[in-house]
Amino acid sequence: MKRPLLLAALAVAASATVPADAVDKLGTLAPYTPAYEPQGVDERGMWMMADEVEKLLAVSELRIGDEELNRYVERVLCDTVGSDRCAGVRVHILNIPAFNATMYPNGAMTVWSGLLLRVRSEAELGAVLGHEFAHFEMRHSLRGFEQRRKATDALAWLSVLGGFTQANTTSSQFSILSSVFQFNRAQETEADLQGLRYLAQSPYPSRAASEVWQHLMEEADATAAGRKLKRTDSYRAGFFDTHPTELSRASYLLDQALVYGDAGDGRSKDYYAAMKKHLPKFLADQVKLNDLNGTDYILNGIAGTTGWTGELLHARAEMFAARGNPRDLVTATTLYLQAVESGYRSPETVRGLGLSLVKSGKRSEGAKYLEEYLAALPEAPDASIIKLYVSQ
Amino acid sequence: MIDRYFARALVILALLMLHVPLMAQEKTGTKEGFALAPGSVRIALVDPNIRVGEQSTGGLFEPNADWTQQARENLEREITRALGTLGNEVVRVNLNTTPQGDSLRRYNALFGAVASSVVEYQFFPGNRLPTKKQDKSFEWTVGPGLREVLALEGYDYILMIRTSDAYGSGGRKALQMVGLLAGVAVTSGEHIGMAGLVDIKTGDLVWLNADLQMGGDPRTPEGAAKRVSQLLEGFPGAPVPGAATTGK
Repeated sequence: MKRPLLLAALAVAASATVPADAVDKLGTLAPYTPAYEPQGVDERGMWMMADEVEKLLAVSELRIGDEELNRYVERVLCDTVGSDRCAGVRVHILNIPAFNATMYPNGAMTVWSGLLLRVRSEAELGAVLGHEFAHFEMRHSLRGFEQRRKATDALAWLSVLGGFTQANTTSSQFSILSSVFQFNRAQETEADLQGLRYLAQSPYPSRAASEVWQHLMEEADATAAGRKLKRTDSYRAGFFDTHPTELSRASYLLDQALVYGDAGDGRSKDYYAAMKKHLPKFLADQVKLNDLNGTDYILNGIAGTTGWTGELLHARAEMFAARGNPRDLVTATTLYLQAVESGYRSPETVRGLGLSLVKSGKRSEGAKYLEEYLAALPEAPDASIIKLYVSQ
Repeated sequence: MIDRYFARALVILALLMLHVPLMAQEKTGTKEGFALAPGSVRIALVDPNIRVGEQSTGGLFEPNADWTQQARENLEREITRALGTLGNEVVRVNLNTTPQGDSLRRYNALFGAVASSVVEYQFFPGNRLPTKKQDKSFEWTVGPGLREVLALEGYDYILMIRTSDAYGSGGRKALQMVGLLAGVAVTSGEHIGMAGLVDIKTGDLVWLNADLQMGGDPRTPEGAAKRVSQLLEGFPGAPVPGAATTGK
């Protein structure tokens, strides 16, 4: 009875081994079939489900509908993967303050606002969009589903037959479980390397892909330091990890980018020009995450390209105002004033400035700014509370 | 990117499904004091949410586009036929063609979440939340914002229907047989159906019929007829048929 069990486990494990990536020096792309239609029962079923999800995505309240922003992100995708490929994809930008993007088997892609806040150039955005597109082109959702089904089939047989034969199947179960996660990691690596091929062929430098992961590690370091936590990066992924570690991704992506040796303009300034309208909202959401050091890291990253603009100074002020120690209020007041001096005088800025002053005991100076806030937004949800500070 | 917890959840789910037979204790709930007189209201029926597929050996849902399409055509036809028997005027509102249908689509999805919660936390009495302990209380809502939905103007109630069928695959049935010999309980197939009526003025769920083991194969015309009659059994305001249909 042991042999079939072992065979089942081996069959699953074999299908999960990492495909050997031939070192391609040119980053050539395989021919692409436009307007692909799903084949077979499984793939057609998955597309049907994804179509349903996409209908909901299209009307989701999280969706950022701004046409200009949507056109821009689509343009970066097309510049990265080529206009023949990008025609098969619909991008849905979602207002979620975390670093992520997702790909559905039918060509629906989601891009989260936390990603747009963190990448620093069109090239870095293209690196992530290209990675997601690679999942689509390589039909990873289908392959992943097939592999999970094979693994769970084997697990089901193991637990039934194990009960039958009184045999201990724990180690076989573990190896099957581990194969599911290994397979997913292998797909991620595959998508990383395919995404890099797109970048190498595009006007963008492929080195940007590695930088995305470097910056994420640095941000995680900053967050951990702020929370007095210890954190180390490792090349080895854990048992339940669905993705390779950030360190290994940063490292193999850099190695391969050096092989390609391509150069190009990452278009950092253009990127931030396109984000300018949305940056205050993205920053406000990030500030609410209560991660002072991590947020400070992001702000410094943006300031590296644009300098300390009023939007950035305002966001930094809000961070300190939210923590609200007496010394933080002094810092916040200073930063709000700098934001105003640089020409950024939004209702939220004068509100924050007014409140910081009032809370620091400077009531009359603060009231002046709060009146300005009320005049600008008389219907603001907090108007009645703010009025209490002004009237006294 | 595959969802970070998706694979893990699937594996754990597959393991659990081997051991947990689904047995709902109750199948119908009505908001206390709710009654509907025949011919008194207009009801909007939005797109039924239908999916049909197989259950893999390990218990995963394998969607099948052809079966779903067949089931959709059969169920739509049977529902249309049944509308005249419900005692009140019921109008089919198509989400894809109705102007201002976006928020209605969101509410349709929200209804699914609420109805699933009712099944889990009300129809299984052992699972009842502390605020829902009383036998008669049936207080569930999608919120008062429903009355702002333009597409529902001129209607008093909204009827929502969902079905999900997973037929046991050959492998799943074999597993079940062997499980029988080995003394391991394995369920094969899953046939979930829900029909609910929501008051547009308040957003309250006033009637819900839900069954985790529905009868009738919606892929066939006869099966779909049986499924629809089970889904709409006891519909408020409908004349009670001479002999109530029971059984699978």
